[in-house]
Amino acid sequence: MKIERKIILLNAIYLVLIVIIGGSAIQSLNSVSSKQRFLEIADDLNTSFLEMRLSEKNYFLFNNITALYEIKTNISKANDVLDSVKDDIIPVIGESSYNELKRGLYNYNVAVTEAIDNGSWNGEIADNIRTKGHDLEDTSSRITKLEREHISNIIYRSKLLLFSSFFAVIVTALIVSRVVSRMVLKPIKYIELQARSIAAGDYSKIESPIRRDEFGVVIEAINTMSEELEQREEELIQSKKLASMGVLVAGVAHELNNPVNNISMIAQTYEEMYDKLTPTQRLEFMKKVDQESERIKQIVDNLLDFAKPREPRLSKVDINELLRKALLLVQNSLNVANIKSRVELAEGLPQLLLDENQMQQVLVNLFINAAQAMRPEGRLTVRTSLDSENGMVEIRITDTGKGIPSEYIPHIFDPFFSTKEEGGTGLGLSVSYSIIKSHGGNIKVDSRMGLGTTFTIQLPVNDEEKGRV
Amino acid sequence: MSHRIMIIDDEKIVGDMAKISLEEEGYEVETFLNAAPALKKLEEEPFDVVVTDLKMKNIDGLEVLRKVKKLHPSTKVIMITAFANLDVAIEAIKEDVFDFFPKPVRIKELKESIRKALIPDDQTKP
Repeated sequence: MKIERKIILLNAIYLVLIVIIGGSAIQSLNSVSSKQRFLEIADDLNTSFLEMRLSEKNYFLFNNITALYEIKTNISKANDVLDSVKDDIIPVIGESSYNELKRGLYNYNVAVTEAIDNGSWNGEIADNIRTKGHDLEDTSSRITKLEREHISNIIYRSKLLLFSSFFAVIVTALIVSRVVSRMVLKPIKYIELQARSIAAGDYSKIESPIRRDEFGVVIEAINTMSEELEQREEELIQSKKLASMGVLVAGVAHELNNPVNNISMIAQTYEEMYDKLTPTQRLEFMKKVDQESERIKQIVDNLLDFAKPREPRLSKVDINELLRKALLLVQNSLNVANIKSRVELAEGLPQLLLDENQMQQVLVNLFINAAQAMRPEGRLTVRTSLDSENGMVEIRITDTGKGIPSEYIPHIFDPFFSTKEEGGTGLGLSVSYSIIKSHGGNIKVDSRMGLGTTFTIQLPVNDEEKGRV
Repeated sequence: MSHRIMIIDDEKIVGDMAKISLEEEGYEVETFLNAAPALKKLEEEPFDVVVTDLKMKNIDGLEVLRKVKKLHPSTKVIMITAFANLDVAIEAIKEDVFDFFPKPVRIKELKESIRKALIPDDQTKP
């Protein structure tokens, strides 16, 4: 069912509840007012009954026959009243009470008529009049009393009903608003989470039972958007790849040009000066040619790594040990540059699934970069830690070097971007980046001019090890 | 007195090889890997010809050209570059560069260019 309909339905239920409450309150009021009408009539009747009894008393005291005629007139008046309000009164006091009253009047009338017919005083007839009159008054006041009780009962019930409906309305309002917010907020929260994960680059579809409401439409739209985004991103990557191919080709040309020129110049000099060169010099020339060839090979190797990074050959590696090994490899360079190193390695890190050679290449590269950025007396710090929340092991490599200008930061992982004064191929960090990425990790940089630079590498702990962490 | 030639290139082999060939021709040759000390040296004493690489990390070849021309207008500057970039070439010609060589450099051509550079101004251009 659509959410709009659900909300309308809930509101309708709520409305019906209020109508029922209002209706019953009105009914109570009606019934009170009709009973009130009866009481007014009853007051009139009681007054005429009272007058009858007064006339009766006159008859007894003075044996006045005219008093009996007065009674008869009053009886006929009361009868008229009862007849005229019959339809109003029967629903209020019931037919039996009405008939009782009528019968009382009739009996009284019979008794009074008998006395008139008899003419002279008769004790038995007089007693009969008194009894019938008394009965009639009794009946009338009993019914009136009963009706008064009825009225106070109705008022009491109405009060109770109004109070309880007041609470019912409040409770229903709370429940309805809660149900509505659940109905609406829960899927919104879910969609929000999904949007966040799309923003983070996870384009997986929303797994949700098919909904027929508005959220079903929204989820479908998000899934379509997600697909589009994924496709666009692939296109973007492709065009970026093409763009970096351009940079790559220009960079390669330039990088290769220098050693090629060197070899060419050595060859020309060798040829021209052959006779004048000593055998040692000739040997030196050839060594230089070999070195320059090696340089070309390095560039080509890096290029191949960059163009088509080979799949990592994974094995379980103790990352702390790997860091110590990599540090040993560059120790000589650090000594020459007079740079101190410090290691702060976390104990008990899980073993990681890594390509040891590739990762060593990354670490050595970062160490050498750090060393080259520092003046003598600089300090290279290597830290490891476990980020158990994200299931990552973190490696932080910090130098006290001159820092990277903030405008360079977005480019430092680009191929052929180099800030080194000489000898940088501009491929080291870009190759490192692709190696870390192919391990499912992240690498980021944080640098402050004049204070130093920290490279942070995050590597995922594999699922098997995660259980033990 | 032999002619004094300065070579500035951050590739050491360029300087070394040029030096061997040019000294064979009887020139006095000094090589520099960085522009800064080379310019300092030029402030102290003049050279007849300065051969400089165009693309160096600290100071670029055009900057060297301007400084040399400012210090010693008669000194000839020959530019070596890995890239034959037309814009840079035009700029260099405006700044009165004597000659322009793309890498890889033909040493014989370089020697020929230097020989021409050493002929007094009123007689020739390459």
